Amino acid sequence: MYGRRATQLVKEFASAEKGQLTAFNSDQFEQVIAECSQHHLELQSLIRKMQEEGLDVQTTRNADHYGALIHHLSLVRNKRCLMAYMYNRAEIIRSLLWKIGPVLPLEIEEKLCHLEEEYFKKHSTALKSYMSKLELDLTVDMVPPKDPYIQVRVLDDIGEGIVLSDDKTANFARHSMHFLKRTDAEQFISRGLMEELTG
Amino acid sequence: MASYYDINDIIIEEEIVSATFQKAASGVGIDPSSETDYVEAGSKVEIPFWLAHELQLRQAVSINVPPCFNQKTRLEIQADSACVDLRSRCPFFYEFGCKIAPLVNDRTIGFLLLSAFKSRYKEVLTKAHTAAFAAASKFWAILTNEEIYLYQAAQSSMASFKKWRMGGPRFQKASVLGRKRKSTE
Repeated sequence: MYGRRATQLVKEFASAEKGQLTAFNSDQFEQVIAECSQHHLELQSLIRKMQEEGLDVQTTRNADHYGALIHHLSLVRNKRCLMAYMYNRAEIIRSLLWKIGPVLPLEIEEKLCHLEEEYFKKHSTALKSYMSKLELDLTVDMVPPKDPYIQVRVLDDIGEGIVLSDDKTANFARHSMHFLKRTDAEQFISRGLMEELTG
Repeated sequence: MASYYDINDIIIEEEIVSATFQKAASGVGIDPSSETDYVEAGSKVEIPFWLAHELQLRQAVSINVPPCFNQKTRLEIQADSACVDLRSRCPFFYEFGCKIAPLVNDRTIGFLLLSAFKSRYKEVLTKAHTAAFAAASKFWAILTNEEIYLYQAAQSSMASFKKWRMGGPRFQKASVLGRKRKSTE
């Protein structure tokens, strides 16, 4: 059936959990584009046939007209599916920047196609330059903290000699606990490398 | 009108309907029963809704009422709406119904949708707050997508209410990075 492949692509996207990406299915994507070209060829051949019979393409309503119409509608449908696939992925990719920060973990990065990686990088540079013009970090937590410092525990080896905003270096060994500025800790927590201790 | 990029809208429109061709069409391979690539006028073909809709607007086909709105379903909904398995009939029962109702000559579909939704809604909300987690998946299997969304909304609002009352860490690992751990509830 016409348009089936394109819908499969969209369904695959929808089957992922909300806000999660599936790997970019370039095979299927190429196949849909090939299907579009096929529709285009058949559409043209039907129109040509009508012209050869000396009919007015604008007003004639014969079998060829309806055949061409079906091909046209299938093309439009395939286009909608492809566009929606790209658009919704791009939306998730933009949201990744706000949730995880400019460095993507490997398991997410390998799901992106080359163009999407480029898009992510450019979007991240654009945001960075906007924030430096404003002199304001927009990615921090929106709720004003009660205390500028928080207690955290390191969950993974982050490494030594990480420079914090007050120009001190800290050694974040695994399972060590630290009393950090909120803004410093935030990026590590969202990447899953630290957890906040309460109580 | 749903957005052009709406994923759900695209999936709803893939739903297969049976349509009777009023006009012949040539050069298309949509009728699996015909050996040539020619669709005769008067032949009945199963086509996706997006195609049937546009062709109906141009009076090339007429759409028949899909089986998920047939007499049998109606009787079942009248009998005990909450136990009817709408998901296997059509995962987007309500949305698809709204789309198909103006196109087929059947004025009762709107009423059917409304009465089914009203009586099932109550059941969904009650189950969302009371059902144990293990029993929930069994109950899920008969809900349409819209109802599952309602079910989850009810549960997540209760969870965030509890979280607000108990307090807990504000920062958490971004949910895109694998499964979120059970937060303090």
